[in-house]
Amino acid sequence: MKNKKSRSFQLSEKQLGYAMVIPSLILVIVVVLWPVAQSFYNSLFDYRLNDPSRSQLMLSATIDLERYVDNHFYIGGQLDSLADGAENEEDAEKVKEIQQDIENYHSEMISDEALKVKVEEIDELLANFTPVRDSELKYSKLDNEFAQEYQQALEAHAAALTKIAESSNNEQSAQQFQQTSDLLTSTASNILNSNFIGLDNYGKYMKDQRMWKAMGNTVFFTVISVAFELVLGLAIALLINRAFIGRGLIRATVLIPWAIPTAVAAMMWGFLYDGQSGIIAHYLEALNIIPESSWLLTTSDGGMFSIILADVWKTTPYMALLLLAGLQTIPQSLYEASSVDGANKFQQFWSITLPLLKSSILVALLFRTLDAFRVFDLIYVLTGGGPANATESISVYAYKTLFAQQNFGEGSVLSVIVFISVAIISLVYVKLIGSDLFEGRTK
Amino acid sequence: MNKRGGIEFYLFLIIFVFLVMFPFIWVFLTSIKPPREIFSSFSWFTSNPTLASYEAALTNRPLVRYMINSFVVSSLTTILALVFASFTAYAVTRLPIKGKGLILGLVLAASMFPQIAIISPMFSLVTGLGLRNSYMGLVIPYITISLPLAIWILATFFKKIPFELEESAKLDGASPFQTFRKIILPLAAPGIFTTGILVFIAAWNEYLFALTINSDDLWRTVPVGISMYQSQYSIPWGDISAATVIVTIPIVILVLFFQKRIVSGLTSGSVKE
Repeated sequence: MKNKKSRSFQLSEKQLGYAMVIPSLILVIVVVLWPVAQSFYNSLFDYRLNDPSRSQLMLSATIDLERYVDNHFYIGGQLDSLADGAENEEDAEKVKEIQQDIENYHSEMISDEALKVKVEEIDELLANFTPVRDSELKYSKLDNEFAQEYQQALEAHAAALTKIAESSNNEQSAQQFQQTSDLLTSTASNILNSNFIGLDNYGKYMKDQRMWKAMGNTVFFTVISVAFELVLGLAIALLINRAFIGRGLIRATVLIPWAIPTAVAAMMWGFLYDGQSGIIAHYLEALNIIPESSWLLTTSDGGMFSIILADVWKTTPYMALLLLAGLQTIPQSLYEASSVDGANKFQQFWSITLPLLKSSILVALLFRTLDAFRVFDLIYVLTGGGPANATESISVYAYKTLFAQQNFGEGSVLSVIVFISVAIISLVYVKLIGSDLFEGRTK
Repeated sequence: MNKRGGIEFYLFLIIFVFLVMFPFIWVFLTSIKPPREIFSSFSWFTSNPTLASYEAALTNRPLVRYMINSFVVSSLTTILALVFASFTAYAVTRLPIKGKGLILGLVLAASMFPQIAIISPMFSLVTGLGLRNSYMGLVIPYITISLPLAIWILATFFKKIPFELEESAKLDGASPFQTFRKIILPLAAPGIFTTGILVFIAAWNEYLFALTINSDDLWRTVPVGISMYQSQYSIPWGDISAATVIVTIPIVILVLFFQKRIVSGLTSGSVKE
């Protein structure tokens, strides 16, 4: 009976299939696709976390209502007392004019019903000394043109008041005028102009020397280290593709550099390369391979050499492992047949091993090239991009712009550049590899 | 090429193992030297071995805490990724749904996306959720790495299970989900375990997200914590060597125990069979 009941709620195979796929798809969209799209979007803005007037993405002009309402509350009172205490008729007249002008702008602004409601709500909160936490309430959009006019008017009035303050002989009144002028300046800064700048950031980086240098470093590092890893990895794979005692030991040896965190490997190599107590630096100097032991980490060529060597050490074993697995799928009978036909080892390598290993090599190259192009931790920990940005990769440059300078607009441009480069590299490889990549996974 | 190696071959192997292991050997030898000797000589062995560097490494910085953090974050990430990925990999390899190629293509593309292109919106998201300096603050971004990796590897393992088993389960009246839970999952358990190890290692080694999101010393993970041992003024190589040895030991154990599985997982994605 029970079984029958549960059967009626049973999903068909198809429904179950979709139900099983959807959660992962949603996750991938939320944590991968959305952030990449957002990076693209951020890159179109002059967006800096450490600058209050640009710390939001504003397609249109925006006003910080919390601070504006607070400032505006004092403007009326201060201007009144300035008009009363003015030394001459002319100044009093000017102050009245300013007051009138600001009131006009203010009432034009709150002629928008929604905005008026918000202003009143904030007024109430401020009267109770409650900070405005809801950003929906705190910020409001303004018409671009109006915002600019209002801001310019406030700045002009502030300048006029400063002028009066400077020409005044009475110190107390001068101070009062200056104070009000500062208040107006601060109010003007509550109006934030749109920071949407389209592709300007990209234009900037196309002409940025440091970007091209970082790109050059990244490409150089990728090509050289992947080439070394492929040749060495293939050689090792060919050599150990046989039965021998101690396979387990070799496998473990090969896996440990791959398995330890790159940052830990970078710290270890940093010690080995150290100009004073680094053993590798010491031996290389003793063998006259490098001019002096400090060459490795304090010169630009040395820095690049050090990074490539550390990367080759860490990932060649992995490459060898992937290629070895590929080698083991080549049937022994092919070699036997070609030996009978009189082919030598070299001919066998070119006509059997390489062609049959092609797809394994390409897949290994694809993953390694992408990893090398995205290199961050190795360089960041080992050299920090130095000396003098000589080893800075594009990811390191992007990280520094994003988090050290807190410039999310320009930093996003650099991360988008990394993204596009990676996409191009993948497309080229996928084209070369063809449908093999998916073989054996879908029906 | 199935010949046995001669003496030269074993000599080559010994040199190879020595070269690959040299950094570890040297770092271990350094970690038991008295700190003064590290800076004054290049001799391999010390005559006064000491554990002083280990004591310093554990007391100068919260190394144990880093390891706990890494362990918790990596375990949570692994569990989450395995649950979602085993569903998806099963559906994509064995159920009659449309768009399989598209889904796998999306997963593969997602695994190739550079983390640097994800980090700034992710940082804002995690900050907005109030999750900076917490375990979940890292588990969420780690899904970007672990989920595509797990789906990709699991798909190969699921594919290898014979289809006849499902057919006979169906004939016996099992529902599709029962077939998955009672027939396929137990058979795929070794593959799921292997995938779990690889995801765990990937999460354990992650640096960029951990560096930016958990910046408080108490919430740092091992890779970030280790890289912070160097101060602006001096580099305590003794502490660093000892700390490196301590954090490498769990990985060495993991590799020694599970090397065959790790190799099968690593190569499953790249070799046609």
